Amino acid sequence: MHRQSFWSGLVVVGFALLALHWIIPGYAGRAMMRGMPPDLLPRVAAWLMLISGLFVVGNALFHMWRTGEAMISTEVNWGALGWSTWPFVYVGFAVWLATMFKVTYIGAPVIAGMLILLGERRWYVVIPCAIAPVIALYVLSVYMMRIGVV
Amino acid sequence: MDFSAISDAFGEALTLTSFIGIGGGVLLGYIIGVVPGLSRSVAIAIAIPMTFYMSPFIAISFLIGLSKGTAAGSAVSAILLNAPGEASSAATCFDGYPMARGGRPKTALKIGLLASVIGDILATMILIFVAIPFARVALLFGPYEMAAILAFALVFIAGLSGGSLFKGLAAGGLGIFLGTIGLDPQTGMPRMTFGYAELMDGMPLIAVAIGTLALSEMFVQSDRLRYERDTMAVKIGHDKADTLRWPEFRITIPAIIRGTGVGTFVGALPGLGPSVGSFMSYGMTKRASKTPERFGKGAPEGIAASESADNAVIPAALIPLFGLGIPGNVSAALLVGAFAIHGITVGPLLIRDNPEFIYSIFAGMIVASLIMLAIGWFGLMVFAQITRVPHAVVIPIVIFFCLAGMVLQGYGVFGLVILMAFALLGYLMKKYDYSFVTFLVAFIITPMLELNLRQSIILSRGDPMILMNRPIALFFIACTIVALVMLGYRTIKKPRPVEGAAAAD
Repeated sequence: MHRQSFWSGLVVVGFALLALHWIIPGYAGRAMMRGMPPDLLPRVAAWLMLISGLFVVGNALFHMWRTGEAMISTEVNWGALGWSTWPFVYVGFAVWLATMFKVTYIGAPVIAGMLILLGERRWYVVIPCAIAPVIALYVLSVYMMRIGVV
Repeated sequence: MDFSAISDAFGEALTLTSFIGIGGGVLLGYIIGVVPGLSRSVAIAIAIPMTFYMSPFIAISFLIGLSKGTAAGSAVSAILLNAPGEASSAATCFDGYPMARGGRPKTALKIGLLASVIGDILATMILIFVAIPFARVALLFGPYEMAAILAFALVFIAGLSGGSLFKGLAAGGLGIFLGTIGLDPQTGMPRMTFGYAELMDGMPLIAVAIGTLALSEMFVQSDRLRYERDTMAVKIGHDKADTLRWPEFRITIPAIIRGTGVGTFVGALPGLGPSVGSFMSYGMTKRASKTPERFGKGAPEGIAASESADNAVIPAALIPLFGLGIPGNVSAALLVGAFAIHGITVGPLLIRDNPEFIYSIFAGMIVASLIMLAIGWFGLMVFAQITRVPHAVVIPIVIFFCLAGMVLQGYGVFGLVILMAFALLGYLMKKYDYSFVTFLVAFIITPMLELNLRQSIILSRGDPMILMNRPIALFFIACTIVALVMLGYRTIKKPRPVEGAAAAD
């Protein structure tokens, strides 16, 4: 628990430093007239992240020191990690498919594939569940919004 | 009060088109609410693209109806499955499920429904009578006051909507940071767009909302499927003893009134959310009862207390939204986005300049409550069947609608990539307990915060001493500092979340 807070806090601190030293100076623009400079609010937000992140790291370090929790754990549950990762990969693949085909066309196989991977194997469930949402999208885009097949 | 405007508003809310729009929203919300794991904010995020072709009035009424429907629908799964449709109905499980297991599921569902509808209508009346005078006062506020109130609201939400104030503030900081991407309003120069023309208008709200709320939630749900498979629902039979009678309902009325009061108070405060309201109401009703030992074993007052507070939060959350233009929770923040998509800036100016529209929304809300009663009462058996739909079926369909929502808005592949990035961000925030509520509210209010901050700096010529002449702004700055110190102290001393507040949506 505290180990997670420690590492996530470090990521926040790292991002805040990246924003303060690279993103904001390079891409947020500078004041060209009186008033509020364009980089002021992003800078305030980055400082807020930096200070909050440091508090998160400090608090986690204190509790880890009190409970004797190690900073790094070598125990990795690969099964759980794989189970957490595959939906991202699958949806990423669907997004890649969407670069070539319309979402309406790929919808049914994408839904059916995920249903099967999630453990639903009954054909009389898989087929209607894969087709009905696509029909709903078709009706919405073609007949109600009148923007054609998306 | 202008009675002709009120009758016109009801006239508009009762046209066939409006009726279909509002009824459709309530029905869809009810169905989504019944499915465990699909929350109110997820429902609104997915539904926003469906409103593109609707008129502003029907679109907003549809979304508010959807919100109300999810709150009432989530009680069905809480009572029949012992698994609340969303966190705010968790308190309903305490007495709803034992009553259903005891052979009276229909009675439990009807008590929950009536409490939801009464709480909802009473809180809507309070909204109508409070929001308009509140907005008149808010019109007297200048940019100093608005900037101070926004800062206070953000700190409050950061501290109360998650476990740690510092994680909440970090999430808020990220929300503000990403909210500043796009053309700078003063100089017109691109700000942190990295040369992408698509980012000139800023990060697409739909991608941020659907990614962090809906798509990431589906990833979290599929994660849980590894360990938790579906449970069996209590079946509804045709037992004659399973009928709600007036003497039994009468004893729940004080609990409903108390729940409405608690829900309205909690809903009007930023950051607390319906979960806190329903748990608080349940606890207060149990303490006020002469027979507290009945609670947890199927006491009807327990169901009524929780459900009335849960539903009262929804209209109450619109008090700061309509009065000040500040969203107090994720659902309200999404409504700000929906208003913006339809070209409307929500806040006190809307009540002053376009009161007919606001009256129509209020009328639509009351119509939605009545439709909710009819749908819930007559569709009881159908909704009971929906609780049997397995999670594995829901997840791919919702993911498909998330992708379709982005494409419908015309963002194409760029939008889908941004959507995936925000889904990953939302997943990590949920996994590591960073408040996505604060993130999203901060992201949405950033343009308003920047505008007020800019006006304050220009008007004061950079001199902070001008605040000495602005007591309201000073008051809220002092409140912000006190909230920071108190919530920070609580985080360091007790690093655990407020009960039930994790899903302050």
